[in-house]
Amino acid sequence: MSMNKPMPAPTEISAPFWNALKEGVLRIPHCNACGHWIFYPRRHCDRCFSHDVEWRDVSGAGQLYSYTVARIPTLPDFADEMPQKLAVVELDEGVRINTTLVGLDEAEIRIGMRVKPVFDKVRADGATLLRFTAAEKDFPARVDSTPEALAAEAEAKVAAEIAATSVRQVRFDDEAAMKSLVSDVFTPWSTQVVVDQALIDEFAKLSGDDYWIHTDPERAARQSPFGGTIAHGALVQILQSRLKMPLGFEVTGFNNMVNYGSDRLRFPSPVPAGSRIHARARVKSVEKLAKGMQLTLEVTTHVVGNERPSVINDLVILYM
Amino acid sequence: MGLKGQAAIVGAAQYKPEKYATAPRMFHLEQVADLAARALQDAGLKASDLDGLVINGPQFHEASVFVPAMAAEYLGMRLNFAEVVDLGGTTSVGMIWRAAAAIELGLCQAVLCVLPARMAPFGPEEDPAWMARAMRFGGHSTAFGAPEAEFDLPYGHMGQNTGYAMIAQRYAARYGYDPAAMAKIAVDQRTNALTNPDAMFFGKPLTAEEVLGSKMVADPLHVLEIVMPVAGGAAVIVASKEVAARARNRPAFVTGFGEHLAFKSPSYAAEMTETPIGPASRRAFEMAGLKPGDVDAAQIYDCYTITVLLTLEDAGFCEKGEGMRFVREHDLTWRGNFPMNTHGGQLSFGQAGSAGGMSQVIEAFTQLAGRSGDRQLKRCDRVYVSGTGGVMSEQGALILQGA
Ligand SMILES: [Zn+2]
Repeated sequence: MSMNKPMPAPTEISAPFWNALKEGVLRIPHCNACGHWIFYPRRHCDRCFSHDVEWRDVSGAGQLYSYTVARIPTLPDFADEMPQKLAVVELDEGVRINTTLVGLDEAEIRIGMRVKPVFDKVRADGATLLRFTAAEKDFPARVDSTPEALAAEAEAKVAAEIAATSVRQVRFDDEAAMKSLVSDVFTPWSTQVVVDQALIDEFAKLSGDDYWIHTDPERAARQSPFGGTIAHGALVQILQSRLKMPLGFEVTGFNNMVNYGSDRLRFPSPVPAGSRIHARARVKSVEKLAKGMQLTLEVTTHVVGNERPSVINDLVILYM
Repeated sequence: MGLKGQAAIVGAAQYKPEKYATAPRMFHLEQVADLAARALQDAGLKASDLDGLVINGPQFHEASVFVPAMAAEYLGMRLNFAEVVDLGGTTSVGMIWRAAAAIELGLCQAVLCVLPARMAPFGPEEDPAWMARAMRFGGHSTAFGAPEAEFDLPYGHMGQNTGYAMIAQRYAARYGYDPAAMAKIAVDQRTNALTNPDAMFFGKPLTAEEVLGSKMVADPLHVLEIVMPVAGGAAVIVASKEVAARARNRPAFVTGFGEHLAFKSPSYAAEMTETPIGPASRRAFEMAGLKPGDVDAAQIYDCYTITVLLTLEDAGFCEKGEGMRFVREHDLTWRGNFPMNTHGGQLSFGQAGSAGGMSQVIEAFTQLAGRSGDRQLKRCDRVYVSGTGGVMSEQGALILQGA
């Protein structure tokens, strides 16, 4: 989740609700005067206007009142949740809650289905959102989707993929074999890196590019069109080295490998601070030169979930 | 209770909808002055006849408070009645009845209802990025303590599309759903737009296959079932019977209105498929002493096809749950047996912000005055107009009648 995603700012009125979510408990106000349950939290009853209201714990059991599957992100920052399964849940107490569904395929979703809560930790500080899944689903009641946890999950998945893939060895001077690597199809996704503010700040110090859109989260929250700070394009470009990619081949037999730089370098879309990035690649071309064999590897780095790359880099490598 | 039908729409003006990128940039005050002059000319009235102003408060570029006073000063108006309306897409309908009510109360004789909706020139501190920033959360408040900032936005519940989509999904679960009937709403309205040179989609025929083949935005809504935001602006003059008598056009008397709202997010509606246009329309028809079947045309606010469907049902043009069948069984074009959104509706005319809803009011007035050109209805004496703001969260209805 990008740090630029809107997050709840608990108030004095709502804090008990948000604090309870952190503990995996759903706590909502109840009116002692008329018995009405109240959501979202208020200090008065929105049926009888009594202020004799107290917090009570509820099970979170309810039914799906309505939902939609959003095919275009409702905000670019939700690209990593695509397709968004936006929903309204009606608790058995009668209140409705705007939420999202998790752990369900689109085909499993039916209006009226029984649902149960999922307490989703989204920030390292413990901030938790209330999501729902089907009552009969074997899905954990508490999940951790902080960027760090999701990146670690991806790391394990890619490591397993790489371990399970047989790597094709190709001699650098076997022109036909080298040319057969050229493909329109990209590799599977790489591991992920969280581009957090600390990393961006370090890069700003190193590069001397400390423009506020990268380094001043408060100003960026007010003035940046992206709702917060974004990473330097050059930072995202070099982070490629940190991403492990299941390439599926290995060039062998050469004496020397020279990085010739880039044929094309583009930064088509921003990386908001806190985003997870990953990359994929394809061999774009192979050319036999007098000096050796030249391979162009197109690497595209994306914010997780975003179809549009943040960096396009055509790396040129000469094997001699 | 209610209006006696002593006030009427006598003149109107609206900018031809245009893409934001190519539309002229004008200050809102300047647009108000320009639209006022055009509406006065249309009515055949003088500036000195105007003594009331109803204007938008939200989205007014040069001020967020004291808007009527600033506009009165800029235009050179002396006002006995001034009002700001903040009802999203039903601002248009809300303006007309407020003006009519003020006139019947004797507060004023001629009211300018105006909605500037072209972009203003960029100031030194403003640029397209500033616009993008301002638009990031659309009509949602991100203020500390705003319930939607706390309980909707973090989940991605924002904008209008997904709210309308969820209403449509629940409708489908309760009553069934016929995508082809929904597409027909857009297609029949496009047929109407083909007779309206001012419409954004004039000269661009549309088929049901194209609607159903267009990109799914949020299930079950396709992109061609959703209005296109455009630059524009509109002004309408509502005047007393006496002033109407010396105006140029056949007046459209305001004989009924209704308004209803109870929530911003439809998630909190008692039942999200039973929309506020129901109580609003019942009041409007009752006030006018008419039934839904008595009107010659319906100009129904159409931000989405689902808005039209639910308005047809909840306003009483057909039974609840029968809307799809009603659409299938009626020709909704200007030459059909249920003329609806005869200018093309906002789906084909374009939606110029909150002025979009005024296109429906102006079309009703134009039809009643017999000035609709190729799409003129043979008989047009009574028209129903609806307005919808938010996600079917604030709605209003008008009955307009020719003298
Ligand atoms: Zn109560």
